Amino acid sequence: MFGCIWQYVYTTFLRYWLKWLIRQATGTCELQRICSGYKPGASMTTRAEYSLKSSKSQVLRGSLDTNTENLEQCVDQIMRAKSIQPQKNPQFKGTLHTCLLQITGYSSLYTSVEDLRKVVFSSENPDHEAMLLKLWDHLMPGAKLESRITKQWGDIGFQGDDPKTDFRGMGLLGLINLVFFSENYTAEARQVLSHANHPEFGYSYAIVGINLTEMAYSLLRSGALKPHFYNTVQGRPELKHFHQLYCYLVYEFDKFWVSEKPESIMQFNQYREQFHEVVKTLLRSPDVSLKLDSNSN
Amino acid sequence: MGLLTILKKMKQKEREMRLLMLGLDNAGKTTILKKFNGEDVSTISPTLGFNIKTLEHRGFKLNIWDVGGQKSLRSYWRNYFESTDGLVWVVDSADRLRLGDCRQELSALLLEERLAGATLLVFANKQDLPGALSKEAIREALALDDIKSHHWCIIGCSAVTGDNLLAGVDWLTDDIAARIFTAD
Repeated sequence: MFGCIWQYVYTTFLRYWLKWLIRQATGTCELQRICSGYKPGASMTTRAEYSLKSSKSQVLRGSLDTNTENLEQCVDQIMRAKSIQPQKNPQFKGTLHTCLLQITGYSSLYTSVEDLRKVVFSSENPDHEAMLLKLWDHLMPGAKLESRITKQWGDIGFQGDDPKTDFRGMGLLGLINLVFFSENYTAEARQVLSHANHPEFGYSYAIVGINLTEMAYSLLRSGALKPHFYNTVQGRPELKHFHQLYCYLVYEFDKFWVSEKPESIMQFNQYREQFHEVVKTLLRSPDVSLKLDSNSN
Repeated sequence: MGLLTILKKMKQKEREMRLLMLGLDNAGKTTILKKFNGEDVSTISPTLGFNIKTLEHRGFKLNIWDVGGQKSLRSYWRNYFESTDGLVWVVDSADRLRLGDCRQELSALLLEERLAGATLLVFANKQDLPGALSKEAIREALALDDIKSHHWCIIGCSAVTGDNLLAGVDWLTDDIAARIFTAD
């Protein structure tokens, strides 16, 4: 209760008075202090984002929804509004521009991911079908698929004879992630698949992959991935960065599962939740950078 | 007084029911559970293992177990039979090809001793899909009229729109309540 009142008083009054006082004393505005006082990445960008979001000025708040093409102009407007002299602050423009690229890039990444998720896998779409077959070829180079509808799909962890119903709410996004991992980290993907096919501690490779796409998606949606992308991408994060994060999750989840040796696949959700907590804890660190590192074992 | 009697008394006091939801993969079990609980159903992925939710409904405390339906998981179903008051069998009404499988799995379940006292609710799900069979067609395909061992009822529903989910659960809870809570 007291916390809530304090939060309210702080954000509505104290924060502004404090900012005004510091501005009078140092001659710099909050954004300038952030852009010069913190190291680039999550420490700086997260603070800049908060500062812009809670600003009273329409120009500053509006910058968070600006297109990439108009961002430079937008930074100029902010500098005018805050009377920041380019000559006296040569770094400021570039730094704030990068921060804004990261902040607005995160929202547009979410939009692109959401668009892919909403595409339902369709057997009538030759591109979708080609992707599915590509997944097979990357994972099972020695085995030929006997037909499109076959029990063999079970060998890479789909539920039945036809994977099309397994993508569910993750749509095409689930398939693209699976293909991306097997294409860009082929050795790692085959290693993970061999663990998944372990007679005792195995799990359904593709289905777990689709579940982890859901984890990656919900982390993105909640904003939990912001520090990771702010630290690892010096500009707009793209789809491939999201796919890479997914690869990290699959690889690390497999390590986690193998080390925990669950009694059976029926415990999946419990271990998934534990793993989810581990990832969320990592993401709370301002220096977080989640990269698949197959040499760390 | 034996332990079982005490447990039974406690269960009566809390008006608690244990519902087990089974069916082939892609039948819509998790979607039904989430929709019934008022959660988002657009981002569901296939269930590995099980989900459990406890919710209050018309004064009853429902423990709903939603167990994955893929073939390799079906041998684990037996681990969830104990003390089941109601069995919810979910059918994808648009999946004509696997109706035979669906019928076999259900009739095997009905022979299980530990499910002997349970009420059976069949959800003919996905009625919103254009190719879906009617609940009468499902009733015939699954030979429900041959079931003499359990109280049963079939209800056509759509987990995505939420249509008829309440009607089904209401029937199920009423039937169970009449059986287990009216003894005293």
